[in-house]
Amino acid sequence: MTDEREPKVSRRYRELGAEEPPTGLDAGILAASRRAAETRLAPLVPPTGRRRWYFPVAAAAIITLAVAVTVHVEQQQPDAESITPPPPSAPESRTDALEAKKEDAPQASRQKSPAKPQSADTARNMEQPEPQARSGPDAQVKGLAMLRAERGAVEEAPERILERIAELRRQGKQDEADNALAEFKRRFPNYRIPEEMLKKVERRR
Amino acid sequence: MEAPDEQLMLAYRDGNAAAFETLYLRHRGRLFRFVLRSVKSRATAEELFQEIWMRVIEARERYAPQARFTTWLYTIAHHRMVDHWRRRGLSLVELDEQDPPGDSPDPARQLEAREALARFAQALEALPVAQREAFLLHEEAGLSIAEIAAATGSNAEAAKSRLRYAVAKLKAAVEDD
Repeated sequence: MTDEREPKVSRRYRELGAEEPPTGLDAGILAASRRAAETRLAPLVPPTGRRRWYFPVAAAAIITLAVAVTVHVEQQQPDAESITPPPPSAPESRTDALEAKKEDAPQASRQKSPAKPQSADTARNMEQPEPQARSGPDAQVKGLAMLRAERGAVEEAPERILERIAELRRQGKQDEADNALAEFKRRFPNYRIPEEMLKKVERRR
Repeated sequence: MEAPDEQLMLAYRDGNAAAFETLYLRHRGRLFRFVLRSVKSRATAEELFQEIWMRVIEARERYAPQARFTTWLYTIAHHRMVDHWRRRGLSLVELDEQDPPGDSPDPARQLEAREALARFAQALEALPVAQREAFLLHEEAGLSIAEIAAATGSNAEAAKSRLRYAVAKLKAAVEDD
């Protein structure tokens, strides 16, 4: 440090005295310094003013969004009653179609159905772990399979019907057998009757 | 060993009020005399003194020990003094060229002017603001030429020149005794 002091000047300057600020001024400044140091801790206390609304508003927004998504997903689900069974005609093709649906339905519902996006299915499955009473892709297939099984129980297989016609022929009930065979051909127009069975069910000339 | 000023100010910045008290007690006298002998009115000096410390408190979170704390403190004091002189109608250029308008002469001080000390005091009061500031920063606050330049926002040559002019005038007043 370059000292530009002149000894005589410095000595005379010191003789001017050593004035001090009044003690009241000291106390005021120190009190202000302590207050400022305390305010530094302000972020540790609960937020005040506008900031205290941030968390409640954010929580309310999240809850509202969750409820809206849930309601939307519920509205997107098809009802079990809305599943239309296939028409009763064409038993072979219906059976084939049901078999095909059984195999294709899960994939179609997962990959192709625009009305049931996968994310909605996922959300729904999470909310409803037991969806048997409700309709979903799997439930829909199961319902169709059950429907098919019930109808299968009341409808005879073509072979069974042909055997019953052959039995009528053996019993000599020719007219009844003719009517049954005609009904069979009407119901199963594409069914090719084996040669052996054909001899048994047709009227002998 | 006493903690350095810079360490105390950093501690206060981090919330240690006791550190500020130590710092304040260490500098209060010299800063008060620097202000008092710059403005001559005690009431004005007390007001300015308090404002300077309030600015130190307000600026605590921006404090970084890039220089001595003393230089930083007297930089704040200088800016406050410039504001004071501006309110009294002096420009920065005039600080170097004109004597500041003093308070009305005190009859008691005129009487004491016959004595050497009073003559010295008058010589000090008669210095241009910038020269007196340079002298007080050097003599009272203990700043070097470079630190005076930093605190007053000038260059080292200007600070040295002001200080030399001030010392020369005061020396002449002393030698007149």
